[in-house]
Amino acid sequence: MFFTQSGKRRIYLDHNATTPVDDEVLARLSSWAIEWGNPSSIHVFGRGPKARLRDARDLVAKAIACSPLEVVFTAGGSEANNMALKGTMAAARARGDQRRHILISALEHPSLKRAAQSLVRDFAAEIEIIPVDRSGQVKVADVQSRLRPGQTLLVSVMLANNETGVLQPVREITQVVHAAGALMHTDAVQALGKIPVSIRELDVDLASFAAHKFYALKGAGALFHRKGVALEALIDGGGQERFRRGGTENLLALSSFGYMCSRIGEVNERAERMRRLRDEFESQVRQRIAGVSITAATSPRLPSTSSLVIPGVDGETLLMALDMDGFAVSTGAACSSGSPEPSPVLLAMGLSRDEAQASLRVGIGWSTTSSDLNEFLEALVRVVERLRSLRGFQMPQARDESCDVLEQVVEHA
Amino acid sequence: MLDQNPIGPDGRRRRVLVAMSGGVDSSVAAALLVEQGFDVVGVTMQVWDYSSCDLEEGNGTCCSSLDVDDARAVADRLGIPFYVANCEAKFKASVIDPFVNSYLQGQTPLPCVNCNTYLKFDHLLDRMRELDCDFLATGHYALIEMDAHGRPGIVTSEDDWKDQTYFLFTIDPEIVPKLMFPVGHLRKPEVRALAEKHQLLNARKKDSVGICFVGSQGYANFINSQISPEQRPQPGVVRLYPSGEILAQHEGVHHFTYGQRKGVGVATGQPVFVLKIDPATREVWVGEEKYLMSDRVRVQDLRLVDSLGEGERLRVKIRYAHKGSYARVNRSEDGRSAELVFEEPVRAVTPGQAAVMYRESRLVGGGWIV
Repeated sequence: MFFTQSGKRRIYLDHNATTPVDDEVLARLSSWAIEWGNPSSIHVFGRGPKARLRDARDLVAKAIACSPLEVVFTAGGSEANNMALKGTMAAARARGDQRRHILISALEHPSLKRAAQSLVRDFAAEIEIIPVDRSGQVKVADVQSRLRPGQTLLVSVMLANNETGVLQPVREITQVVHAAGALMHTDAVQALGKIPVSIRELDVDLASFAAHKFYALKGAGALFHRKGVALEALIDGGGQERFRRGGTENLLALSSFGYMCSRIGEVNERAERMRRLRDEFESQVRQRIAGVSITAATSPRLPSTSSLVIPGVDGETLLMALDMDGFAVSTGAACSSGSPEPSPVLLAMGLSRDEAQASLRVGIGWSTTSSDLNEFLEALVRVVERLRSLRGFQMPQARDESCDVLEQVVEHA
Repeated sequence: MLDQNPIGPDGRRRRVLVAMSGGVDSSVAAALLVEQGFDVVGVTMQVWDYSSCDLEEGNGTCCSSLDVDDARAVADRLGIPFYVANCEAKFKASVIDPFVNSYLQGQTPLPCVNCNTYLKFDHLLDRMRELDCDFLATGHYALIEMDAHGRPGIVTSEDDWKDQTYFLFTIDPEIVPKLMFPVGHLRKPEVRALAEKHQLLNARKKDSVGICFVGSQGYANFINSQISPEQRPQPGVVRLYPSGEILAQHEGVHHFTYGQRKGVGVATGQPVFVLKIDPATREVWVGEEKYLMSDRVRVQDLRLVDSLGEGERLRVKIRYAHKGSYARVNRSEDGRSAELVFEEPVRAVTPGQAAVMYRESRLVGGGWIV
């Protein structure tokens, strides 16, 4: 897996999909796994695991600046998103709150969109989508104009988009949402570990996190829910997570999550390093590949994500060719997920289908080096040239280039 | 000479893109190429939105996600890279829609040829070049051989029963040197034995029969599911030839195919067969079997894989299961259509099917029966 057929080391640039397990996590795994007792057991076998679970919760809470009592552990980000919507809606109904209007942005992850759709079916909820433009950023005014005090129960806008990396004005949105008496949720799965995330600053009521986007194991995540915000369980069980999430805890994955959260102090420095690499890569890619554009280049973005549109290539083919050359990236076009549509996020931003099909996502991580990116750039240039020449692609004149120049000027202003 | 060695003149291992359907033939094709030392890349075309099929129904057809899973498992077993190419839009436009329209026009379509023409030997051929591959391989039962002049061509497979050259007549002769049919020299039991030997999970998977995307629901139901209620063929009458007597009402011309005996739904005391389907008048003509025989067949959109002599006598198959009959082939002036004059009359010439021509075992070309 780590080497190509010709023996070259593979380079992983898809850190938005998942991150490699940190070496320190790997080194600690057996020491965590050996404490195999059930955290709910009263006897001695349960005590160690219970302490580990408490430690993990304290570390996660500290990392995101909330109280440990406000952290519900889940199996991951999708479950946290589901719980935020379904749990809130069910709890509102249970106390006789009849509000049924829910606002979600057009950028949301499928787990959130589909959970919202299920509320239409199960609670006769009305889901309204907050549109976005090519900036990839939700406008506070677009939220405000859609809020219906007394009717809007919940608003959900992600903190950082997985495809473009664009950061959303969650704190400002929260203010208007609270003013309308509604609850605010943010899917912060892509943000944790890439930028500092503070619940206290964001002031949201609910927030979703996943361990595996932060160099820990898969199978662990968390839902922050502000003290006093009622939440019904999705999974009933033996009273774990204070009856908010049944099932014996995945202590191994949660321990890794807690451990990585203990290293949250590294994020600022790591982010700066990634930003330098990313900016250098983007500047190089613009020089080397004619007509390339960087989606939402002028919006505030994660320091680690580049979403490219490369006219004259098919993202799916580009991905395959790069994979064979030993580079793992992702595309906003249809992929092996079986979805026939190009990325809904890019389409929602107003990119054409052709642009979305010609998109490529580069997600760099903590261990990415500048030589990794240089190697990748050389391969990308080579593959793009080959694909373009096979299609007889000619760079269209005028329009695209002027846009690019404008984009660069604004960015450097 | 046709150079299809695993190592090129530059000493580099040659790369082959193998179209893997998840079936046993293309799986063994991939296994053989790996064994021969090629750098093999597997690809499966995702051609149909399986989320709308139920799993039971999709099982064992080339359109289901289970088949994609099988292809992936075989690729993993062989240790080769594997990708899914999304071809749903193209498949719908170039295979499904023409299939539906053809039935609505009273024809009996042959979608596998369009799938080969527009997907396997077009879309995947592009992929082959884009992924820096030297060859494109499929699991078709066919052979590539040189003729006396050293020109590569397509020849019927070793296994007469499985031969699939009938579906390959639209292939551009220019690309033949780029193609490989690694199981073409094998018989089906040998292919299964090789699958067992390589421990491929689909060694005993049943052969796909019929048309992959139709499934168990039947043609008429499939067509009805693809069109709006207004487009649905209206009921019409079944008439007896030559008297013109009305024998029955029918539910729409898409329920019939030329030469069909069963399902005509009329009792005349003697067997009758569908002789003609007229979508304009919604009439289906039936009659005695002797009226099904004809010695002249017109074909359009003539495609040639090999050169064709003027008025040449060739063996012609008018449907996949037809063993072939000899005919003189007279091309039209523009070369785009032809009239085939058979030495002995052939039974149930069916518009929408292909007439495919062979010089002994060599595929010459074919056209669409009108």
